[in-house]
Parts: sequence; structure tokens; C-alpha cells
Amino acid sequence: MTKGPKRLALSLYLTREPVTLAVLTGAAIVFFLFVTGLSRLYQAQQESLADRWSARGVDDLNAQRFRVAIVDFRTALLYDRDNAAYQLSLAEALLGLKRTDEAYAYLINLWERQPENGVVNLELARIAVQKKQGDRALRFYHNAIYATWPDFQGRRKARLELIDYLLRTNARTQAESELIALEANVGEDAAQQTQLGNLFLRVQDYSRALAAFRESLKLDPKNEAANAGAGVAAFETAQYPAAERYLAKAISLVPGDAASAALLKTTDFVLKMDPFRPQLSDAVRNQIVVNAFTTADDRLKACPLLGGTGELSSTKPVAGVSNATAQDLAQQWERLKPQITERGLRRDPDLVNAAMNLSFQIERRASGSCGSGSEADKALLLIANLHAEN
Amino acid sequence: MEEGAIGPSAQEIAHDSAVGQTPGPSSVSVFQAFFREDRFFLILSVFIGIFAGLAVVCFRFAIDWSRIYLLGSGTVQTPVRLLLAPALAGLVIAILAIHVFPQARGSGVNQTKAALYIYNGYIPFKTAVGKFITAALAIGSGHSLGPEDPSLQIGACLASALGRRLRLSRDHMRLIAPVGAAAGLAAAFNAPISAVLFVIEEVIGRWTAGILGSVVLSAVSSVVVMRWFLGSESLFRIPPVEMRRPSELVAYVILGIVGGLASVAFASGIATMRPRFRNLAQWTQYLQPAIAGLLIGCIAVLGAPQVMGAGYEYIDEAMHGQFTWQFMAILALLKIVATLLSFVSGTPGGMFAPTLFIGAMLGAAVGGAEHALLPHLSWSPGTYALVGMGVLFAGFLRAPMTSVFMVLEVSGNYSIIVPVIVANTFAYVISRTFQPVAIFDALSRQDGLELPSMEEQREESILRVEDAMQPPAAVVLDVRDSLEKASKLADQERTGDVLLIRLYPSGWSSITREEVKKLVQQGKGSQTLESVLADAGQIPYLHPDHPLETALRYVDRWPLVPVVNRANLRELEGVVTQHDVLERYRDFGGE
Repeated sequence: MTKGPKRLALSLYLTREPVTLAVLTGAAIVFFLFVTGLSRLYQAQQESLADRWSARGVDDLNAQRFRVAIVDFRTALLYDRDNAAYQLSLAEALLGLKRTDEAYAYLINLWERQPENGVVNLELARIAVQKKQGDRALRFYHNAIYATWPDFQGRRKARLELIDYLLRTNARTQAESELIALEANVGEDAAQQTQLGNLFLRVQDYSRALAAFRESLKLDPKNEAANAGAGVAAFETAQYPAAERYLAKAISLVPGDAASAALLKTTDFVLKMDPFRPQLSDAVRNQIVVNAFTTADDRLKACPLLGGTGELSSTKPVAGVSNATAQDLAQQWERLKPQITERGLRRDPDLVNAAMNLSFQIERRASGSCGSGSEADKALLLIANLHAEN
Repeated sequence: MEEGAIGPSAQEIAHDSAVGQTPGPSSVSVFQAFFREDRFFLILSVFIGIFAGLAVVCFRFAIDWSRIYLLGSGTVQTPVRLLLAPALAGLVIAILAIHVFPQARGSGVNQTKAALYIYNGYIPFKTAVGKFITAALAIGSGHSLGPEDPSLQIGACLASALGRRLRLSRDHMRLIAPVGAAAGLAAAFNAPISAVLFVIEEVIGRWTAGILGSVVLSAVSSVVVMRWFLGSESLFRIPPVEMRRPSELVAYVILGIVGGLASVAFASGIATMRPRFRNLAQWTQYLQPAIAGLLIGCIAVLGAPQVMGAGYEYIDEAMHGQFTWQFMAILALLKIVATLLSFVSGTPGGMFAPTLFIGAMLGAAVGGAEHALLPHLSWSPGTYALVGMGVLFAGFLRAPMTSVFMVLEVSGNYSIIVPVIVANTFAYVISRTFQPVAIFDALSRQDGLELPSMEEQREESILRVEDAMQPPAAVVLDVRDSLEKASKLADQERTGDVLLIRLYPSGWSSITREEVKKLVQQGKGSQTLESVLADAGQIPYLHPDHPLETALRYVDRWPLVPVVNRANLRELEGVVTQHDVLERYRDFGGE
């Protein structure tokens, strides 16, 4: 090849292809910039339409016009299909119409994109509860508890729902552990403390329940629910004087509170019938013992099963009194009866314990065989339990 | 092409023989090597992808703006708008299509094929402009058509214009339209694999590294551009795919059968009604799109607005179980009617989206009905809708491979592959049985174009070298043999004028009896064949499975071409001559 054609070829390749590529690149950049401008216009319009329709949707959702809200959010999603908030709102509107499967489709799609979203996890947990999918429900509830929330309330709400679900499924131990975790995160809020106390009542952790109610009452002494709850908790922990105080307060705040009134009545009986209360005069104590012995006598006579020969093995042993057959109880009662008078008790104070122990044993046995008796019988049983624990 | 697989070609041999005379590497040859048209075409494919992607983004904006301004921004429109928007838009479209953009009619797939096979890659740029405007107006106003086929044509038009501007060779010009088509389709569908497969399966009809590379590059670059502007989300959200037991495949077989029959009905409807509508008086051509629009508006007013436009948002809803199976069956039927009206009236727009819509609705409806009858079947509307889309794609568009990959690409879930293949196979077979001519072929024939049918080409039996080759020639010499020995052997076996020579370490050469005798007479009998073959060099060789047309390229220049084993290139399996090849072709024509 000569020098001339070589130069020609060089100039051809140097000028044609690179220049072509440069021109194409330039044209692509210009076209790209043009489409970018167009895209901004388009996106702005889309955003505006999405905002407008979602605002309508929120209004309709708040007004529980779920059907209209669904159309609104679907339209909003037409213009901003990736918007998680719209999808979530649409799912909520669908859930409002009980269209669970459709809502689930949106939520699971959201969850795949945002597994850390607390609201999505909570909604999925609720759907799993509805579908009786226990394992999934627990997983989503736990996800929700440890997920991202815009405020603290969300996490608390998720844990409360989980506790409620656990209690409904009789998973009391798990519920209690969740409650203990919740306790640390409940602030100085009377309503929250009351709610916490009520939940502790449901898991039968009365001490923690009483502490929660007391916290609530410190913040709001006139909170009827807290007073009533504290009354129950104090009663269950055998703090009868405190129970009487809280229950009385609850009834004074809401006179129609029948449950508190009934519990207060029992509490009053306990307090009145307990001969081991401090600061009682001998005469009063002796009178109480005689009354208790008479109550036990009535119970013994009213319960036909106690007349048989059944063993007392089903009853708990009472301090100072060994397990005995019903016949033994009757014999003991017959033996003690002449001595259990005010005079007899005054002469021999040791008879107080013997009489009360026998009364407790009769009440326990009768409770096991014949069910609950009168308020006085219930009170005697509670007093028996109280002093058995002591 | 198969050239890369065979022995050295004539050009390569010629080049090899001239190697000693070429100058060493220079800056010119480096540029030549770098800017060879093949490579330049690959780079150009990326630009085509970028331009097509940008154009498709604009097209999407145009469709949305058209919809918002014509039908309103909400998903629930007033009856007046539902009736007037498609009707008035139809009137405008008819005027534009008749007077300004006559090439803009139809879906665009056949126009791209015509560019490849008839017009040497030429598609007027005006077609892209016309398609852009009229299809955006049609789809946005609610005509039951989709944006994919127009995007395909817009991509092809842009590529063609670019190719003409750059004065590409005829071969590349022919290929440039499909490259642009793949880019347009990929951007419109947000599915590069399906787009590449569709263009190869339905437009080009053959696989080679060069075509595949260009098509893939353009499709990928267009999808990247499209995702840059419109995000990477697929057209619809795919719910979890569910299939509990293999026995449930029977349910998908039923779906395949129903889908196949629906495809036949849909395709027959278009193939039958389109020529009738086109043969109506000229003045009716102005009114046909408007009347079609009005009728579609009536369907919408009567309670099925879902049939308007491309309908992707409703496919999404169907997949998530937001319609009853009875309603979805009605929607599938109404969509067939609406698409028939839109398409046969000459309204520009594509059939991909309506096909997917019908498939999704039909699939979910069949699944729902099966579940109602047999409640123990697992019921996931999304799964049935996805399979249904594949079924209609296979049955109506007759692109079986694309249909499978489309579902996989869209769903992103390979566990659905078995039901898709089973159902698509049934749909495809039923459709082929009852509608032997594929819809695109039927449409092109109605337009007076005899474009090659990819389906027929796929099933065409081809002749191979093994069909024409003869048993190995008796005299096969070794390159280290002396001329004297060669002469003796040639005298012993008189089976032809040409003697084949095995070269070391591989390759073949040949020499005639006369040449051997002449050299011996010149006193060169003691010399080896190697010493006298220096100038002759190698001859090409073939393998038994090569298409016979490959042999045609060599048999006129070399009287005897060796056919060798692929595993052992020194093992001769036969020989082929021009006479053998022509004789075989003659026999094949008679068959």
C-alpha cells in the first residue's frame, strides 16, 4: 500500500466513524435532556394528581367511606404506583370492607419492599389472626414490635395487640413476658398505666397490676377504672384494707359499678370476720370467733356431703389441724362446740386458734364438696387462705 | 451464519495466501480493525436502543396525557366522556391516517418485517411520527389497543432513519429495523428478554451471534433508558405463585384448551372482519374508528370500562383477586369484541396489551371456575392469570417461545414454568389446528405482502451435507508421502481425478492425478507432497450436519470437498461434489 491511500484511509476512519459516534452521542444527550424536561413536567403532573386523589382518599377513609376511598387510592396509585403510603391506605380501605385477600396482596407486596415497616407488619399480623395462622401472626407481631415506627405509640400498640392475641389464645406465660417488656416502656400516662394494670390482671400477675394501678392513681386519683382495678388487685393479693379503700373510691366515682360493689361486700366480710386482725379487743375477737364457728356450723349442716365418710384429701391442709375425714370434723366440732362461747374463749384463749382452724377446715371441705356458700363462708375461706399463707 | 464453524472459507484462504504480502500493523489497520462495520453496527445498536427508549418514554407520556385530557384523571369517568372521547378521537385518527400518515395503520409488526424482507430496511420516518400521534390518541382515548406494537414500529423507524443517514451496507440496513424494533418493544414492555425473543422468533426468524448481539444491546440499552425515566417496576404486581400438586396440571391443560379456542376465535374474527371493513365504501373509512370508539364507549358505560385502553391496571387487579371469575370471563369476551372493533376499523395500535388482558382475564376466570367446581384445587388468580397471558400469547400471536419467557420474565418466578409450558403447548397446537395461518401472516397477506412466515420456516425441513455426500474417495494421501507413492496409489485406484491429502496437524488439501504425473515426469518423484503443496494451501472441509446450502459456496470452486468428522478432523466421512449437491436438490424438489 502506498503512502497516499494509507493517509486517505486514515483520514476516512478518523473522520467518519469517530465523528459519527460524536454526533450520535451529542444527539443522544440533546434528546435525553429534552426527555428529562418532558419527564419533569410529566412527573410534576403525576405527583399533583396523586396528591389530589390521595387527599380525597384520606378524607373518605377517615369518614369510613371505604368504597370511595378504594377508588381514590387506586387512582392515586395510577399516578404514583410505588407510593407505599397510598398502598397502605388502600389496603386499610380494603380491610375496612373486609376484602382481606386483596388487602393482603397489597400488604405483602409492601412488606417485600419494606420488611421493616411497622404498620405493614401489624396489618399483616391482624390478617394472619383473622385467618387463624398463629405462627405467621406471632412472626408479624414481633416484626411489628421491632420494626420502624414514626412514633413510640405504634410499637406500644403492636405489643398491646400481641398481648391481647396471646391472652385470647391462652398463651399466658408469653403474654406475661410481653407485658413485663411493655411495663418498661409505659410512660407517665394514667390511661396507659391503667391499661397495663388491666392486662396484668388478665395474666393474674396481681402484684404488678396493683403497682401499675397505683402509678395510674398517682397521676389521676379520680380514675374510676384504676381504682376498681387496684381494688381487684389488692383483693387478690389479700390486701383487704387497701382493697376496701380502692373499691369504695371506685363506687363513689361510679355508683353503678356492680362488680366493685360485690367485691367490696366480700372484702367487708373478710375484714369483719377476721379475728386475727391487729388492734382488736379480746371481747370483739371472741365474738368474731363465736360467729365464725356458728357460720361453719351452718355450713356443716347445709352441706350433705360432709355428713358422709369421704376423705378430705381434696382439701388443703390447714395449719394446726391435720387432714381428717368428714366424720372426724363433725366429731371435733361436737367436742369443741360447748367450749366455743365468749366465756369459754375468755377462759382459754388457745381455743381461738382451735375454733378458727376447725372452721377453716369445714369451709374448705364444704367448698370442695358443695361449692361456694354464703358471703360469710367465702370470707372465712379467704381468711383461711390469708392466714395459711402467713 | 455457520461460517464460523466450518473450515477456512474461500475468503480466509485467499487472505491467508496473501498474508506474506501485507504490511505490518499500522494506525490505519488498528482503526480499520476497530471500526469494522460489524463492530460499528454493535455500537450503533446501543445508540438505537437509547433513541428508541427515549422515544418510547415520550410515547408513554403522550398516551397518559391523552388519557388524562380526554377521559379525565380519575378511574371512574362520566358516561358522556366514555362515549365521546373514543368516538371523536376515532374521527381525528381516521382523518390523520387517511390523509397524513397512511403507513401508521395496523400494529407495526408486519411493517417492520416488510422493511426487513422487502424494502431493504427502509421505513419512512413519517411513519414513526404518525404512529406516535395516532396510537397515543387512540390508546389514550380508550380504544382497546396497546402501546407495544407501535413502540416496536417507532423503534424500527428510528433505527431505519439512522441507518440511512449513516449509509450502512444493505445487509446492515436490512437488520437495523429489527434491532430498533427490539429496542422499542423492550422499552414498551419493560421486558428485554421477551422483546429479543419476539423479534428473533417473529421478525428475523434466525439466530446468529451478530444479530443476537445487536438486538440484545439495543433492547438492554432501551430498557435502561426507560427505567431511568419511568422506574423499574414491572407492568403489574405479581402475587405469589401457587401450585400444590402436580395433578393440578390438568387444570392448566383445560386453561390451555380454552385459551387455544379463544385465540382461534379472536384471530379468526380479525382475519375475517378486517378485509370486509376495508372493502366498505371509502367514505366509511372516516367513520369506522369513530363508530368503533362509540361502541367501546357503550361497553364501558354499560359496566365494563376495564376494556378501554391497554388495561394493565385491571390485569393487576385481576391478578390480585379483585374480580369474580364470572366478571373476568365477561371482561375477556368484551375485550375480544372491543379489540376486534378497534383493530379492524383501522385504528392504529397494538395487539400485545389486549392479548395479555384477554389472557389474564380468561386465565383467572377458568381458574376460578375450576376452583368453584373442584374446591380442593389450589386457587391463586395471579397464577392462572399469568399462565393465561402466556396461553393467549402462544395461541394468538403464535410466538410459543416468547410466550414462555414472557411469563417468566414478567413474573420473575421460575416455579410457574411447568404450567406455562403445558398450557401454552395445548393452546398453540389447538390454534395451529383450527387457524393454520398465523395472525401476522394473515394480515400481511391481506395487505398484499408475501412476507416469510416464521412459523412455516421453523418447520421447514432442510437438506444437510450428509444427504448429498458420497462415501470417502478411495485415495487419501498423507502430506508426507512422496509424489512417487502418490502416483502409484493413483494408478492403483482409478476412482476420480482428484486426490485428497491429509495435512499436519489438521486440515485438508487436494491435488489432481495430472498434476502428480506431471511433477513425477519433471523428476520430482522423490519430493514429498508437502513441498509441492506450498502454494496450493488448504481446501475447505465440511461436516455432515452442515446445511447443504453451505456446501454450495465451495463446490463450484473446489471439485471435491471433504466431509470430516467433528470429533476427529482427520477422519474422512465422505466427499461432496457440485454434481452431488445439485442432484440432491433436484431430488428434493421432486419430493
